[in-house]
Amino acid sequence: MKLSRPPRAAQSETIIALIDVVFFLLVFFMLIGRMDATAPFEVRPPMAQSGRDMPAGGVTLAVAANGSLALDGDEISTQDLATALTSQLTQQPDLRLRINAHRATELRHVLPYVTQAEQLGVRDVVLVVTPERDE
Amino acid sequence: MNLKRQAQPRALISLVPMIDVMLILLVFFMVTSTYLNLDMIPALRPDTDSVSTTVSAQPEGSIIIRIGADGHAVLRGQQLDADAVTDHLTTEIAHEPLTQVLILPSGAAPMQALISVMDSAALAGVQRLRVLRLEASQ
Repeated sequence: MKLSRPPRAAQSETIIALIDVVFFLLVFFMLIGRMDATAPFEVRPPMAQSGRDMPAGGVTLAVAANGSLALDGDEISTQDLATALTSQLTQQPDLRLRINAHRATELRHVLPYVTQAEQLGVRDVVLVVTPERDE
Repeated sequence: MNLKRQAQPRALISLVPMIDVMLILLVFFMVTSTYLNLDMIPALRPDTDSVSTTVSAQPEGSIIIRIGADGHAVLRGQQLDADAVTDHLTTEIAHEPLTQVLILPSGAAPMQALISVMDSAALAGVQRLRVLRLEASQ
C-alpha cells in the first residue's frame, strides 16, 4: 500500500508570524519613542519627582551646560532667540515654550529666557525634568 | 471526450514588499526615537506665574528659601538638604496652607538646585510658589 505524504504547508504561513512580530515591534517603537528634535549638544534634564506628564506641541529651547542654546534642535544665538520666538508667536498665539536645560547649567543662563519669553507674550513656559534617577 | 479545464492557481498577493516597508519603518522609528522619560514643571502658566523677575512686596506668611552658588538651599539661616526642605515646608503648610514660598536663587546655582527646591515645595503641597531674581544678567 502506498501512503501519500500530506502536502506541506505553504511558505507564506511562516512569513505571517514574522509580520506579526515586526508589526508588534513597529507599534512598540511608535508608542514608546519620542521624535522631538534633539539638541546638537548633550542635555541631561534635572531630576524631579513631582513633574507632570509633558503635553505635546510647542517649541523646545535646549540650554547646554555652558549656556549654548538650541531652538527645536537648531543652534541659535541669544540675539536671534527673541526674533524666532516672536515669529512662532504670530503663528501660534498660545505657544508653549519648553525649556530643556542641562541640570548643571547655571541659572543665569536659564531664568533670563523665562523672563524674555514672558515679555514677548508667551504665557505657557515649562521646565523639562526627568523622574529617572541616574548615577 | 471530457475536457477538463485546468484549475487556475490562486492569486496570491506577495507579502515581501510589505515586509520591506515595515522593516524600513521599524528601523526608522528605532533610530529616530529617543527614550528619555521626560516630565515638566510649569514655570509660567496662562493664569498665574510662578517665576518672576521682580521682587514684590513680601506678603504675610511667606518663606524665603535662598539657593547659594554652591546649590545648597538655605532656609532661615540653616543649610538644608531636599528632604529637610520638604519636611520644613510640610510643617509650615500644615500650619498655614496659603503660605507663600519665595525662592531666591543665585545666578551661579545649577539648574538642578532650583528644580530640587521646587520639587520639595510641590511635594510639601505648596500652592503659592515664586522664583525671584534680583538682577537680569545674561
